[in-house]
This record gives sequence, C-alpha cells and structure tokens, in this order.
Amino acid sequence: MIHLEKIYKWVNNGSNRVFLLKDINLDIQQGEFVSIMGPSGSGKSTLLNILGMLDEASEGNYQFLEQDVYQLKEKQRSQLFKENIGFVFQAYHLIDELTVYENIETPLLYHNVKQSDRQAIVADILDQFNIVGKKDLFPAQLSGGQQQLVGVARALVAKPKLLLADEPTGNLNSKQGEQIMELFLELNKQGMTIIQVTHSEKNAAYGHRIVELLDGRIDKK
Amino acid sequence: MFKNYFVSAYRSLMKKKFYTAINLFGLTTGLTCCILIFMYIANEVSYDQFHEKKDRITRVIMEYSFGGSVTTGNYTSTKVLPAFKRQFPEIEEGVRMTETERIISYEDKLFTEKKVMFADSTFFQVFTMPLVQGNTQTALSGANKVVLTRSTATKYFGQSAPVGKLLLMGTSKIPCEVTGIMNDCPVNSQMRFDMLVSFSSLQANQEQTYWNANYTTYLLLRKPTDIKPLQAKIPGFMKAEMKDQGNVYLTYFLEPLLDIHLRSPYDSFEPNNNILYIYIITGVAFLMLLIACFTYINLNTARSLERAREVGIRKTIGAAMKQIFWQFMGESALITFLAVLLSLAAVWLLLPFFNTLSGKTLQVNMLFTPVLLGAIAVCALVIVLLSGSYPALVVSRFQPIKVLKGSFSKSASGARLTKSLTVFQFVISFFLLVSTFVVQKQIHYIRNKKMGFNREQVLMLPSDRKILAAFATVKTELKRIPGVQYVSRAQNAPHNIVGGYNMRNAAMASNAQLNVKANPVDEEYVPASGLEVLYGSNFSEQDINTVQAYDEHTPENAINYPFIINETAAKALGWSPSEAVGKKMFLDDSRPGYVKAVIRDFNFESIHHAIGPLVLFPAQWSSVILVKLDGKDVQGQIRQIGSTWKQVAPHRPFEYKFLDDEFNKMYNAELRLGEVFNLFTGISILLACIGLLGLCSYAAQQRVKEIGIRKIMGAGVGDIVRLLSRDFFRLASISMLIAFPVAYWVVYRWLEAFAYRVSISWWIFAISALIGFFLVFITTGLLAVRAATANPVKSLRTE
Repeated sequence: MIHLEKIYKWVNNGSNRVFLLKDINLDIQQGEFVSIMGPSGSGKSTLLNILGMLDEASEGNYQFLEQDVYQLKEKQRSQLFKENIGFVFQAYHLIDELTVYENIETPLLYHNVKQSDRQAIVADILDQFNIVGKKDLFPAQLSGGQQQLVGVARALVAKPKLLLADEPTGNLNSKQGEQIMELFLELNKQGMTIIQVTHSEKNAAYGHRIVELLDGRIDKK
Repeated sequence: MFKNYFVSAYRSLMKKKFYTAINLFGLTTGLTCCILIFMYIANEVSYDQFHEKKDRITRVIMEYSFGGSVTTGNYTSTKVLPAFKRQFPEIEEGVRMTETERIISYEDKLFTEKKVMFADSTFFQVFTMPLVQGNTQTALSGANKVVLTRSTATKYFGQSAPVGKLLLMGTSKIPCEVTGIMNDCPVNSQMRFDMLVSFSSLQANQEQTYWNANYTTYLLLRKPTDIKPLQAKIPGFMKAEMKDQGNVYLTYFLEPLLDIHLRSPYDSFEPNNNILYIYIITGVAFLMLLIACFTYINLNTARSLERAREVGIRKTIGAAMKQIFWQFMGESALITFLAVLLSLAAVWLLLPFFNTLSGKTLQVNMLFTPVLLGAIAVCALVIVLLSGSYPALVVSRFQPIKVLKGSFSKSASGARLTKSLTVFQFVISFFLLVSTFVVQKQIHYIRNKKMGFNREQVLMLPSDRKILAAFATVKTELKRIPGVQYVSRAQNAPHNIVGGYNMRNAAMASNAQLNVKANPVDEEYVPASGLEVLYGSNFSEQDINTVQAYDEHTPENAINYPFIINETAAKALGWSPSEAVGKKMFLDDSRPGYVKAVIRDFNFESIHHAIGPLVLFPAQWSSVILVKLDGKDVQGQIRQIGSTWKQVAPHRPFEYKFLDDEFNKMYNAELRLGEVFNLFTGISILLACIGLLGLCSYAAQQRVKEIGIRKIMGAGVGDIVRLLSRDFFRLASISMLIAFPVAYWVVYRWLEAFAYRVSISWWIFAISALIGFFLVFITTGLLAVRAATANPVKSLRTE
C-alpha cells in the first residue's frame, strides 16, 4: 500500500541544511498496524505528515496505492488524500463551534455525501462508538477520552483505507489511552491499515511492527 | 454543506460577541451612510422625471445688455411666449409662470400663502401634474381661477368640497373660484407650489414689452431634437425685434427641463443643486463603504489567527482550499446580511435627522424602489467580495501542519496589507479632522464678524401697498410701544441688499455706467441698522416726503434725489469720502441727484462677496419694515407689536422674523456643511479606531510568545505597551504626512470662495495630530495593557 524510497526531508536554516529525515525506505502493506517510535526530534511527526500528504518530502519517491504521489497534480493528490486517509491528533482537534454530531458529519460534507446518507452513516458510527447520547454536546463539554473517541470517529466516518494517528493517547490518562488502543486493535482486525506515532512502548506493542527512528534515520538494530 | 457553514459561522459569531458586535457596528455604520446618501442622490437625479413630456420641455433664459456688461437670468417678460409661438412652428405650446406671496382668506381663515403660483391655462398640457377634481382644459382659463393642492384644500375647507367655492386673494380681497384639486407637488419637482392661479389674473398678462422680465417661460417643443434649430433662429429674430433700440442687445437661450435642477446656474422655483455636489457626495458614499470594508478586513484578518486551527482541522479531514474559501465568504455574507438589516432599521430611525441635515423630505418607502434595492444589493455584494475575500484567501491558504502544530508564524504580507488599509483610514480621518476645524473656524468667524451693521433686536415685518399707504400711522402706532426705538421701511434689510442699478457722476457719459447695488429706504433706516454716517447727514423726513409726492405724471428730472453712498461707491465715482458730499450723480439716469452723506462700508451681502459700491435712496415702494427694539423684554414687545398690527393692518396676518435669523440663513450652506463634516469626521474616526483595534489585537496575538518571553526576562507592563503601540504611532504619523498637505490644499480652495475668511492656522494641524495620537494611545493602549498583563506561562504553554 505504501512504498517510501530514499525519502529525505530538510529545512534550510540560514546557510545550514538541517536534515529532518534521511534516506527513509519503508513499505507498509494493506491491513498492517505499524507503530513509529523514537525520541523527541527524531522525525516521527515529519514522517507521519509526509505519509499523510500534509507535507512533502524534499527528495525521494512515495507511492501510495500504486500511485506516485509526487507525480500527481495537486487536485488528484488531494482527491487521493481525501478518499483514503483519516487523521487522529494528540490534541483531538475537534472544531469547537460544532457539536459531536456535526464534527463527525463534516468530512462527509467534503465528500459530497447526500444528506440522507450522511444521517445514516453518522448514526451508525455514533452507535458503533457508543456516543449516541453525546451527539448534541460541544467538544468542551466532553472529557479528553471522549473527545478523542469523537476524533477517531470523525477520522473513520469517510471510510478511509489508512488511519494516521499522531500520539493519539498523548493527552489521555492510561485508562482512556488503553480504550483507544483497544479500539485501534479492533479496527485493525476489521481490515484498517493503521500507522501511529507514539512515545509509549506499551502502546507501540499493540502494533504488528515497530519502526524506530533516530536522528531522522530508521534505526535498524 | 451550506447548513454546516452557516452553523459554524453563526456559532463562531456568537462565541466572539465583542468582535461580532464591532464588526457589525462598523459595517452597519458604513452601510447606513451609504443608503442615506443613495436615497439623497436617487431623489436628486429623479427631479422632474415624472413629466411625460420631460424631454420636450425647455426653459427660456434671457440675456441682455444696454451697451455695458451682459446680464443673464431665468426670467422673461410676458411677451416672449406669445411672440415666440407666433414666430416659431417648433413650439407646440408654452406656459408662463411666476411664484409669489399672497394673503388668502376664506370665511374666518386668514393665511399668508408663500407659494402661490400663477400659470397659463396651458400648464396642464405642458406639465404632468394631473387634477384629482376639475377639468385640465378649463381649470385655469379666465381670470381669478384657482387650483388647490390637496393639503391646501384641507387647510381651508377641511372635509367639505372646495370646488366652486370662492377664496379672497390679496390685500384687495379679489374673489377667486376654486376650479380644481390636484395632488401635492412631488418632492422631486422644481416647482412645489401650494396653489395654482390663472395667469390672466395678473395685470402683466398682456404686456407688450420685453423688459418687464419677472416671469419664467417654459416651452413645449414638437420634437426633443427641435431645441437646436430653434435656438439657432432666436438671435436673428430678436435682433430684428430690437432694431430701433440703439445699442441694446437682447436674446434668449433654451435650457432643457431635465438640466435645470442639477446643471443650471439659474435656480428654478425651488433651489437647484449642483451636479458637482452629487459627484462629491457619491464619492463620500463610496469612501464610507470603503472605510467600512477596510475595518472589516482588518478585524477579520486579525481574527483569522484564531480560526486557523479550525481551518487546519477542516483541511486534514478533507476540505479543499476552495471549500474553506467559500466557507469564510459565507461568513462575511452572513454578517453583511445582518448589517444590511440593521442599517435599514438605522435608516428608518435616522431619516428625520438626515432630512433636517440635508434639507430634504425623503421618505422611508423610497427604499423599496427597485433602483435603491438594487443599489443596496450591489453595496452588500461589494462588501462581501471586497472585505470577505481577503481574509478568506488568507485562511484558506493556511498549512494544516503548521497551524495544528502551533508553529504558526506571522505572515508579513498580510500585516503589510492591513497596515496600509489602516494608514488609508487614518489619512481620511486626519483629512476630515483638519477640514472640520477649518470649516468650524470659518463659521465662527461668520457668526462673530463685525459686519458694520446692527442685526441684534431687529424685527422684520412684511409690507404691502395697503400698509405703505398708511405708513405714517403704522409708524406712529408702533413707536408708541415702549422699547421700540426705530421703525423703518425699505426694499431690503441691511444683511442682503440685492437690487442692481447703474450709477455715474455728472462728468461721465451716459453710456459709461457703473454697476451698483441700491436700496430704497426712509429716514430711519440708517439709525435702525446702526450704520455709521462719516460725512454729511442722514435723510430727513422732508427728503422722503418730497420723493413720496412724486408720481408718474411728474416730469423727469423734476426732483433732485438725495443719495447716501458708501465709501466704496464714493471711490468708484472718483471722489474721496470726505469730498463726495454735495457732488452731483445719477442713479439709473432717471434719478438725478446729489450725495447727501457717505456711510462707512458694511457687508450688505454674504461675505462670499467683497464689499461693493452701494447707494441708499428714497423711493415710494418697500417690501420690509424694520423695527428696532431696545432688547428689554423682547417677547412682551413682540406681543404688543402684534396687537398694534391687528389694528393698523387687519388685512394681513402678523408674521415677523428676526434679522439675525435671516442673516444666519444666508450661511445655511456653510452651517450645513459644518454639520456634515462633524458627522462624517466622527464616523470615519470611529471606524478607523475600530480598524486599529483589530490591527492591534492581531499584532498582540502574533507577538504573544515574544511578549511572554520578554516578561519572563523582566519587562514591565509599560515596556510591553510601548513595544506594541510604537508601530501604530508610526502609522499615524505617516497618515498625517499624507493627509495634512491634501487637507491644506482642499480647505484653501474652499476658503477662496469667501471674500472674508480665516487663516489656516498651524494649531489646527497640531490639535488634529494630538487628537489622532490620543486616540491611537487609547485604542492600542487598552489592548496592549491586556496583552502585557496576561500570564506569560499561559501564552508560552500553547506552543
């Protein structure tokens, strides 16, 4: 599903070139659950953003579903992104002005789903995540765990093939974190490809495989 | 989709109530100004458009000279229409009109009607002012027929039917038959009379001269294009008509009806406006709209940082740039729509005030004409596009990873734009501030300048033939009231002497006349007006009585007129003021005489004009009675004068004016301009401050981290406030550098229209600058203090 080849990412800081990622080669198959680990500044988030097409590599080749991402036109690429990738953030990033229901509904709007279909899909997912009773609350009225649950629900509502999670449990207590990880595991069993960035060995262990990053390189110990 | 945008827009507006409120306030203010101005313009350009034959009607303008300078005017004699109609086949019809004041009574009702229009029976064929009752063919044929407007009819007859009843007109109470009722004249008409009387009621109806030119003539042409060929024929025809009148030159020009209100130098029955003012005020409307838009842009670019996170999220869950853009456009559409509703309400509330200010009688229902609704819609669209698009473009370009990671840095280009907009707003504010000061200074000058005559405690009463006949009695009776110092009759009060005459001294040839203003007066005019006699002596009662005795049968040159001239007239005639007394001179050649006295120059016209030559002379006629009071218990004295009036002039209602009020009226345009300037300056400064508030809060947000760090390093509140305000003081200074020279030039040009004017002092600029800096200090200071007192730990933790 994902094929990264000789990916470099750098920023120019004055006359110095600072490398964030160096020579990343990575293949991820459909249905995998991969954890990316590494100390602060090792390039985990940068890698995730490149995988999620929010950021572009400075050099290298990225194939997503057999398509060469960097050869695509902007429109095709955002289409590819929109249809296949869901994001979960450490800070949940729900839209404060919208209710739980509306937050989850929003991606469907951007996918031009009809209203009647939207209602059915959102109702389904609310049910699946057990948050039907919370649908009219605003994010500020929810606990962190609940907000993240909504965040995951929103990431999944448009049925992406790949779920990217940037420290999804970073702001949660251990019990809430566990719930989210159990949820990920369940989703993975149903066939969802998941890539998560995490600091925690325990969370990383939920995945099939761990990619260790150190100073922008994949650490192959 | 739309609902989602709407919901998030609505909630984000509600969440930031303060921002929403000032945003709405800014837009509403701008839009309200715009709508009011649109209504004003719509009214001005619609003048006379309701006449069905509007493009075939022309007004006749007279141009003549007696060998000297050429005079032009919007008047003709009664002979022009019949002569032209006989001569020129292009003329289908025509109507002669004149508007005067008449005393009208019906049973116990007695009014002085100010707007009595005399018109030929053809009036209804030329103009489209339909009758509600009566027959347009016959309503005005024959003498002493009168058509009333609805309001006038109600005034005299209440609910009962007026047609066929008799009104008594004038001092001699001539019965006039009411033959028809018409709607009140439209507000956008160059004639707005209260009653229409047949022209044949006037003695002048069949005059055989071109020279008694007191009437307005309108011609109805057969084709709109006839105006040019007809115009070409007139000079030849008139030359033939004048061939035995020596070096007299007389011709006429045709002015299209629709050009009169905005493009003619000659007023119609109602005062004209100037197309230039329409352009200026249109400019002002767009300026207000622009200022409102800029305020909106500033506030929303500032707020966009707060919305950045939402944009980032929306993008990561699949929103395209285009969709974000339209979402934010939708938000401005929503707020603009609210602003439109609010400003319609504001227009409804403010219209009476605006009418007073503009001297108009605009009505709210004007708003619901297609033209105005269209203009408002266009305005709203302009606001949405102009002010919504920039912030929308800024936010839609946000990079999600940047905004979501919090490493969102300030965008230099955005800051530059909002800064330029702020400078623009300040330039306008400073420009208006300086102009306001100068206008107010000139108004103060007008009000307090020594005009050289007394205008305090002088009452102006009307005069007519009946009153003049018994003037000696009137005078004696009035002077018996304690506190009445002088009673004088004259053609004009001293604040505005308008009568144009010619004069020459005995040595000059009779075709080398000098233009002069002259005023028929009596022996108490000089003391009543507080004029200062420099040489010679005031008229005696004997002087006045001698001229009084003169009538049409007295041979010319039979009397030797005594004249009082001013210093300028003396100089114009070639004498120094001291040697002028006793010299021989002529006023209009028909009045030989001698200089009896020289008075000190005084401003007998508005101070737009320099003091010119003036002659006071005794004559039989007059139109005003001046009563000088001693100023103790004015109300009581007026009451007594009123009761005396009922005895000496029972045929005329007691109506009085104060000379100083009439004097102030001459400067209505300036006073109004002063008020308009005050208003627009206030609004523009307010909006500029709102924009500044937005800009400042933007800056404070962008620098929140810097501020936090500085505080941890030990910076005090004062340091932070200075840090944040410094930029804005710089912006204000730049604006002044741009605004002050422009303002200086514009007010200089404005002041040039006054022969007597104030100087543009340096302190006007100093005070404007001070006000500007003070407002910047207050606006930015408030926000800066808030930013400076915030807990740095909080601001740094958001990283």
